[in-house]
Amino acid sequence: MFKELDPILHSQLRLAIMSLLISVKEAEFTFIKEKTNATAGNLSVQVQKLKEAGYIDVTKEFKDNYPNTTCHITQQGIKAFEEYVKALQEYLKVGQSR
Amino acid sequence: MEEQVLTPEESLLVIQAMINKAKETVADNSYYFLLWGWLTFIACISQFVLKVIINSPYHPVVWSINIFALIFSLVHAVKQQKKQHAKSYVDSALDYLWLSVMLSFMLFGFVFARLGWQDCYTFYMLLYGLGSFVTGRLLKFPPLVWGAVVCWLLAIITTFTSFNVNMLLCALAIAVCYIIPGHLLRSKYKPQ
Repeated sequence: MFKELDPILHSQLRLAIMSLLISVKEAEFTFIKEKTNATAGNLSVQVQKLKEAGYIDVTKEFKDNYPNTTCHITQQGIKAFEEYVKALQEYLKVGQSR
Repeated sequence: MEEQVLTPEESLLVIQAMINKAKETVADNSYYFLLWGWLTFIACISQFVLKVIINSPYHPVVWSINIFALIFSLVHAVKQQKKQHAKSYVDSALDYLWLSVMLSFMLFGFVFARLGWQDCYTFYMLLYGLGSFVTGRLLKFPPLVWGAVVCWLLAIITTFTSFNVNMLLCALAIAVCYIIPGHLLRSKYKPQ
C-alpha cells in the first residue's frame, strides 16, 4: 500500500519553495522569487499556504526602509519534507522494479 | 512556475534543481582574507624592519593596525548583509568559526601579555591555519586547505627559529594561507 503524497508539498511551486528553504538557513522573498521564476502574486499565495500548514515561518520587517519578507523552514516542515521524499522513493522503487 | 500535477520523477527533478540553485548561495568571503592577509603581512614585515633593522623598541605598535582591519571588517559585514538575500548554513558556520578565531586571537593577546611574547607567532600561525582549513573545507576550496597545511608546517618550523626569523615566517604563512587563496577566491566569485 502506497503512502499518500502530502498534498501541501505535492505542488510544483510549493515543493520548489520547500526544497530551497531546506537547503538554506533563511531566504528572502525576492531570493525565492528569483530562483523559482514565479510571479510575486502566485508565490505569496503558496508561501501563505505553507505557513498555514506550519511548514515555514515568515518574518516581515523593514530593510533599508522597504518591507522585507524572510522565510525559513520549521521542524514540522523538515519532517514533512523528509516523509515526502521517503514516499517518493517508494513510488520510484516500484516504478523501477516493473 | 505554473501549477501542474507532478509525477514522482518530476517531483524529484524539482527538488534536485532547487537544491542545486541553493548551493550557489554562499557569500563571497575573499574581502576578509585579502584585508586581514595584507594588513597582517604588512604588520609582520614592518615589525621586522623596526625591530631588526632600525632597532626600535616600539616595534609591537605595528599591530594596532588590527583595529583598522576590525573596523573595515564590521563595515563590510553590515554592507554585505544588506545585499545578501539568503543565508546558507555554510555562511552561518563561517560566521561562528571566524568569531571564535577572533576571540581566540584576543585571548591569546591577554595570555602572551602575561606569559611573554616569545612564542606568540607559533600560536597565531596555528590559528591562521585553523580558520583557513575549516573555511576551505566548508567552501570546498582547496587553495585554502593547502595554504593552511603550509601554515601549520611553518608554525612547526617557528619552534626551531628565533623571534626575529618568526616574523618573516609569519609573513610567508599569511601570504600562502590568506593572500594567495584570497585572490583566487575573489577571481572565483568575480562575474565572468
